[in-house]
Amino acid sequence: MGVIMSEKKYTKDHEWVSIDNGIATVGISNHAQESLGDIVFIELPSVGKSVNAKEEICVVESVKAASDIYAPIDGEIMEVNNSLEGDAAIINQDAENTGWIFKMKVSNPIQYDELMTEDDYKKFLEQ
Amino acid sequence: MPLDIPLKNFHEANGAKMVQFAGFNMPINYKPGIINEHKNVRNHSGIFDVSHMGQVLVEATDLHINNLEKYIPLKLNNLRNNRSNYTFLLNENGGVVDDLIVSLIDINSKSYLYIVYNASRKNEDEKIFFKCAPNAEILHIKNCLFSIQGPESIEVLNNVIEIPVDMHFLDIDVLKYKNNSAIVSRSGYTGEDGFEVSISIEQAEVFIKDLLENKNTMLCGLGSRDSLRLEAGLSLYGHELNENITPIEAGLSWALDKDRLNDTALNGNKILSNQLLNKPSNKKIGLISVNRSMLRDGMILLDSNKNNIGKITSGCFSPNLNKSIAIGYVNLNFDEEKEIFCEIRNKMELVKKTNLPFVKKNYKKNGSYNE
Repeated sequence: MGVIMSEKKYTKDHEWVSIDNGIATVGISNHAQESLGDIVFIELPSVGKSVNAKEEICVVESVKAASDIYAPIDGEIMEVNNSLEGDAAIINQDAENTGWIFKMKVSNPIQYDELMTEDDYKKFLEQ
Repeated sequence: MPLDIPLKNFHEANGAKMVQFAGFNMPINYKPGIINEHKNVRNHSGIFDVSHMGQVLVEATDLHINNLEKYIPLKLNNLRNNRSNYTFLLNENGGVVDDLIVSLIDINSKSYLYIVYNASRKNEDEKIFFKCAPNAEILHIKNCLFSIQGPESIEVLNNVIEIPVDMHFLDIDVLKYKNNSAIVSRSGYTGEDGFEVSISIEQAEVFIKDLLENKNTMLCGLGSRDSLRLEAGLSLYGHELNENITPIEAGLSWALDKDRLNDTALNGNKILSNQLLNKPSNKKIGLISVNRSMLRDGMILLDSNKNNIGKITSGCFSPNLNKSIAIGYVNLNFDEEKEIFCEIRNKMELVKKTNLPFVKKNYKKNGSYNE
């Protein structure tokens, strides 16, 4: 189930994005899963839905709280990770790989270029 | 600025994730996480540092007892020595100022009421304690409070403090730990057998390290404490209880001494005796989610016609049921046979009403485990 990707980038909302052939794969960062704690439920976005960057599109529920997941860039939802519906804890075990949440067709690639690199994100977390 | 509990550094060194709660930096969970800590308490045991809670000693004189009986709906003169009682401080309307554990114990041959109360209610409670007993002694500035919970808690604690074989649920005693005294009660707030130990700050770290010698126990934070108490159907101040809810509305009339409701010296006695006769307008119920969505405090409950019928006061994920559970209040005139929905992110989600508790209590009463 490993997903091999181009350079991984990060948003300020602690999501990661990686693009392959115009399709972005999106999940939450390892830092985000650590601070959320045990994840018990995810409400996945609807496939086919057009979304804008920063739009709330799905929800991750940990034991403690619900957290919104935002679209990192503009596009259309192509696929969701259905295995999370039965076992959302996959995100705790492997947030930045098999714990991916959705894939989207990118309509505005410049937005991806503007996201943080892994090094930038690390610095962002230290702030 | 939030306050620190005495063993803050110890907890951080042991992997605690700290959050602010009731004005304190408190461990919410350690490395294993809330669900593992929860399961360890149900299957083995867990150790909670609840030193943020209030502890006070009030000399059990007739004057103090008489003063306190304005607020506490028990006959304090009839309390049995070495026993703990779940009760309340009541305001003039019979609303709950706080819920408490009041115990009668001897210290250096003097009789005291030992009261444990919520951290979030210290200001309100202590105003009452000092009004009733100006020489009341705040104990939490000298003593830490630890809660050791779970079916194996007796083994964990017995290695460290010798527990009398005839100590049962809600018994309390002053026992010896390394030549100093510790107040030990067989109680807790998880639905499991367990103990609460009040011990001097100087000895606290050695004590907790001694407890952790048992390899099946682990440090547990407020996260699992909350999911354990919710599964056990126990009320939490600020959620099921507040100044505008009476113990009867909260389904806790069993904790009232009914004779005291005829006593005009008790705050709100007329309101309470009226509610006991005519039933209050709300009813506390348990709810289980049908889908996997999470029920949370403050969510609105609806009938199938979208009429508001009540709200959730506590909700969490139940590790034992592997579903979300909640406690809430509904209008008494709501037809129990009808479906109940919860409004979650603007959607109506079906929920199932159930009796409390969600998980059977496992207290050690009179030598046998039962509810």
